[in-house]
Amino acid sequence: MSDRDAARRPPPSRSPSVRAPAARRDMPPGVGALAYVLPVYIALPLLALPFATTPRALAEHLVSAAALRALWLSLATTVAATAITAVLGAPLAYVLARRPVRGRAAIDTLVDLPITIPPVVAGVALLLVFGRHGLLGRSFELAGIHVPFTTAAVVMAQVFVASPFFVKAARAGFETVAPGLEDAARTLGASPWRVFWTVTVPLARPALAAGIVLAWARALSEFGATMMFAGNLPGRTQTLTLAVMSAMESDTDTAVALSVLSIAIAAGALVGARRFACSRGLPF
Amino acid sequence: MSAPLAPPGRCAHAAASPVRVRPPRALARAALAAASALALAAAPAGCRDGSTLRVFAASSLTESFTEIGRDFESAHPDVTVEFVFAGSQTLKTQIEHGARADFFASADTALTAALHRAGLLETPRRFAQNALVIVAPHDEMRIREPADLAAPGVSVVLAGPGVPAGRYASDALGRMEASGRFGDGFAARVRANVVSEEPNVRAVLAKVALGEADAGIVYLTDAAAAGAKVRTITIPRDWAVATEYAVGICRRAPHPSAARAFVDHLLGPEGRARLLEHRFEVP
Repeated sequence: MSDRDAARRPPPSRSPSVRAPAARRDMPPGVGALAYVLPVYIALPLLALPFATTPRALAEHLVSAAALRALWLSLATTVAATAITAVLGAPLAYVLARRPVRGRAAIDTLVDLPITIPPVVAGVALLLVFGRHGLLGRSFELAGIHVPFTTAAVVMAQVFVASPFFVKAARAGFETVAPGLEDAARTLGASPWRVFWTVTVPLARPALAAGIVLAWARALSEFGATMMFAGNLPGRTQTLTLAVMSAMESDTDTAVALSVLSIAIAAGALVGARRFACSRGLPF
Repeated sequence: MSAPLAPPGRCAHAAASPVRVRPPRALARAALAAASALALAAAPAGCRDGSTLRVFAASSLTESFTEIGRDFESAHPDVTVEFVFAGSQTLKTQIEHGARADFFASADTALTAALHRAGLLETPRRFAQNALVIVAPHDEMRIREPADLAAPGVSVVLAGPGVPAGRYASDALGRMEASGRFGDGFAARVRANVVSEEPNVRAVLAKVALGEADAGIVYLTDAAAAGAKVRTITIPRDWAVATEYAVGICRRAPHPSAARAFVDHLLGPEGRARLLEHRFEVP
């Protein structure tokens, strides 16, 4: 435990929050009560959904072929999107954390942009690049590759919107790894790749894990960009969120059942990640 | 040395421990984003003055109703008309869940009839008819006649099965198959070419106008609204289904008299003229 402690530099520039949490009596009056407004506001809709149905109706609607297909498609695409995000995002995060890259602020802003861009706009933009008449899509089309309305387009939309969450977390994680430790490993003869895998990644692992969970969750909740870029076809591009929308048009019971399922998956992932982090004494 | 790691098993501390993944600036940015999102979400719900008529209308009525609304406003300067255009079935669901609308103009008489039966609408009145057509991108020549919808490799976009335009399209495909002119399994072959089921008819039109799909089935009025961006292939009358629009005033309309005035305007000569301009048929 203690050598792990030493390996982590104190987090950069966090002067105010290092203080111990204020005792309750020190708080301005009213803060304690206000603090509970938001949790109640978040909890109510989440609880309302399962109460809008019965376990039996829930089971009935969830075993329908359409629901299972949407669930499977959502799981497969989000796992693929998260894997791509991690493979492409980790090198970027490492470079941003370690190298004095020119235009780092610009790259930083660019990589964060998908968080603030409305997802529908992201979908339109992806169409204008990869669509049939898009910048790259035109050449793709000549090569016989058609991207929009495919499962690949679903994954691409998810990578676009979810990657910032991983890159931010991974970068912060890499920044906490003391370069001295990597240097030490190198002087002992370890190759750069070996240093990366055996020193850097293990030390940054909590942050990398948090980034993976956040990116995956964002991919799972993706809707707007998918609708625009990948369309909505059961079994091919209709993810859980799109299935909720489609069901809402004709059969609200199915929509509620799918929503409950989505909440269960999201909550399960969050609790699981916390448990995993706790069991290893890692912060999450 | 600050000790960033919480002791194992003390998870409450782990969550609150000083090592967090996000730097504080990112948190501040996230908080700002959340606050602005809340403000945006709250904005449409904010009440304006009492004379804003809120109209729920099928997305295929976007252009015609916007113009009719402008005519109505100039004839009734004290009333502002606010439109919500979406798929008729989406609007129906919203009304069922208590959305405050003054009246509802649906692309399908079945939806207004259902709301009427549920006690949410006054007696619906029919006000327009539309025809179903095939649209294709203006520069895409693969679709020349309805039979081409089933050609291998053609990508077709339809409105979803819950959307009136999607249901009408399915009906039309079924009738075309039943006519025997297009071969066995025509509807299934077209279905196999479908690449997306869109939430409203305008989304179908957009995907075709962008050239992302080879063909879509929309209303004649949508094709007219898209102008030169799409080519229109008519579906002969024998196979096209009658698409009928109905309007009903909400039972709990906040402005019932203004709503009645608008519906009278819509059914009167001025409203009918506007609908005709946009290639609707009027009774």
